[in-house]
Amino acid sequence: MHIPDGYLSPQTCAVGYAIAVPAWAVAVRRVQRVVRNRHVPTLAVLAAVSFLVMMFNIPIPDGTTAHAIGATIVAILLGPWAAVLAVSVALGFQALLFGDGGVLAFGFNCANMAVLAPFVGYGVYKLVAGRSELTAPRRALAAAVGGYAGINAAAFAAAIEFGVQPDLFHNSAGAPLYAPYHLDQTIPAMMLAHLTIAGIAEAILTGGVVAYLQRANVPLLRVNHAGVTASGGASSGDTPAGTRRVRPLHVALGAVAVMAVLTPLGLLAPGGAFGEDAPEDLDLHKYGLSAVPSGLNKYNGFWHHALFDGYDFTSDAHPTIGYIVSAVVGIAIVGAAIFLITAAVRWAAARRGASHETVPGEARS
Amino acid sequence: MSEQAVSERVQVPQWLLQPELGMCPCGCVGKRKKGSYLRKTLNGGAGLLRQVMFSDDTARQDGLLQRIDPRVKFLAVIVLLVAAGLARNIPTLVAVYAVTLALAAASRLPVGFFVKRVWLFVPIFTGIMVLPATLSVVTHGDVVLTLWHWHGRAEGFTSQGLTSAGLIVSRVAVSISLVVLLTLTTPWVRLLAALRSVGVPRIFILIIGMAYRYIFLLLNTVTDMYQARTSRTIGAARHDGGARAFLGASGGALFGKANQLSEEVHQAMTARGYRGDAKTLQSFRLTGRDIAAALCCAALAAAILIGDRLLGS
Repeated sequence: MHIPDGYLSPQTCAVGYAIAVPAWAVAVRRVQRVVRNRHVPTLAVLAAVSFLVMMFNIPIPDGTTAHAIGATIVAILLGPWAAVLAVSVALGFQALLFGDGGVLAFGFNCANMAVLAPFVGYGVYKLVAGRSELTAPRRALAAAVGGYAGINAAAFAAAIEFGVQPDLFHNSAGAPLYAPYHLDQTIPAMMLAHLTIAGIAEAILTGGVVAYLQRANVPLLRVNHAGVTASGGASSGDTPAGTRRVRPLHVALGAVAVMAVLTPLGLLAPGGAFGEDAPEDLDLHKYGLSAVPSGLNKYNGFWHHALFDGYDFTSDAHPTIGYIVSAVVGIAIVGAAIFLITAAVRWAAARRGASHETVPGEARS
Repeated sequence: MSEQAVSERVQVPQWLLQPELGMCPCGCVGKRKKGSYLRKTLNGGAGLLRQVMFSDDTARQDGLLQRIDPRVKFLAVIVLLVAAGLARNIPTLVAVYAVTLALAAASRLPVGFFVKRVWLFVPIFTGIMVLPATLSVVTHGDVVLTLWHWHGRAEGFTSQGLTSAGLIVSRVAVSISLVVLLTLTTPWVRLLAALRSVGVPRIFILIIGMAYRYIFLLLNTVTDMYQARTSRTIGAARHDGGARAFLGASGGALFGKANQLSEEVHQAMTARGYRGDAKTLQSFRLTGRDIAAALCCAALAAAILIGDRLLGS
């Protein structure tokens, strides 16, 4: 997954740095605040470990071996921001010392493997682990699932970065200038390898390390699990790392951000979706019909008061502006809907908690 | 140039340069076994040490690029990478590759090694990757060599696909050559100092510098763990649950040791007066030679872009 120079256009690489640089800045500030002046030796040793983890060859059942990134395990042990720095430094070594991964592509390599992978992996780990105790088998399983999700998220992002190249950059004869495959080829190619071999490697490493530490070195696990006791549940302390409350605004903003990032994919998709054509576009001959079915004809125009009919207004006068305005309004409406749903779920949960008076963490508010 | 000659010229011990001890590298002598995960990891460690020692040796030689200020070299590599990235014609990229070969020769790098380092990697990874893209199935266009017919339409290599594959392979080769030129002619410590003076924050430089030291210490630990395991293993290593449990345990032990190490290092640093900032001993001074090198690089980048424009798109 280490993208070499030459596969992505310099313009794309600039986007990669635009993602990675703010992440580094935030990570440095967060890590400095948490570990004070100890950050330099801790992160240095972690970066070295992360580099070595990429050298661990993991035995896979069919007799082959694969290597993992190790982003999720660092995120579980010391938090995702520490993982951002440790994996970035390890990737920097590989790019500069060993020519593994490009220098211009370093921004995107970090965005995929040092930012996306630890955050997705850590998020999934927390979701699956829930409030289980620190030494529960469920945590080892959660770590394995988190590692699997993290490396696959990184692979998916890399597949998108490769896949948009031929559409954006080609010469006058139509020859692609950089990576030549389209999204419909890069995504299956990358995901097949990572959903099977590399994903399993990362899952074995992440789950295996957590399982070992549960047996042999619980204090190391406790570094980043301040709110979780070995006997289970959240502790009564005021550092509820494992029981942060869900805020409707955060969930809604997160959903909006994901949609906004994914919007340009829609412009690249060819053709329309199955079953969404207008009746007059129906290929009657193909289905052996002589006319548009009467029911379809009758109810098709049933609702014609849509605000942005066909993702446009003023009847196709400004198609691009219409599309963008539709997108902005659509994202805002969906975000507001998610806000309301989350608020309703929280309200219902709070009512149930009040009637039982057993929800931990609710006492703090 | 053969591996033997390389090792005579630089002072890397012979045993480090052998890929597998006591066995012919091509596998023609003895029984060739499928490499186990243990062997692969151990070999990876040896290969790592070998590469680092080799680049330390070449960076100490008295060549053209070794004499230029690391800051100038670093910025020049970035500028040339972008210029090569923007080039749209294969002849332009071939010309840039020729320039990198000339620079390698002028810097007294073993040219055979330099060529091998690039062309061992490019055909295996990039070559196989772009091969299907030369076919009309992936890259539509004018079919130049028909391989088969599908529903009456000719399918085969397209001129667009071949152009694209040539562009990618040559661009990757040029990019790797440029970075290898930088790392083989610059000692690691000086490269870090250069990164610092081109604006990389100090905390990153500190982390990178210390991590570089500890990679080798921790690499030793990993090698010891694997060696101990290998010496206690009778017969071939198996890819079973036990192997995976061992791997998780050694990974966990490595994290534990690293954590302890960072505590000790921090205490040692604090005892020596570390308060969170670092001072460097040497400072760089730009000489006339460096300015000339910078001008040459700018001229080369301009020549790449203008020449490429003249060749058309």
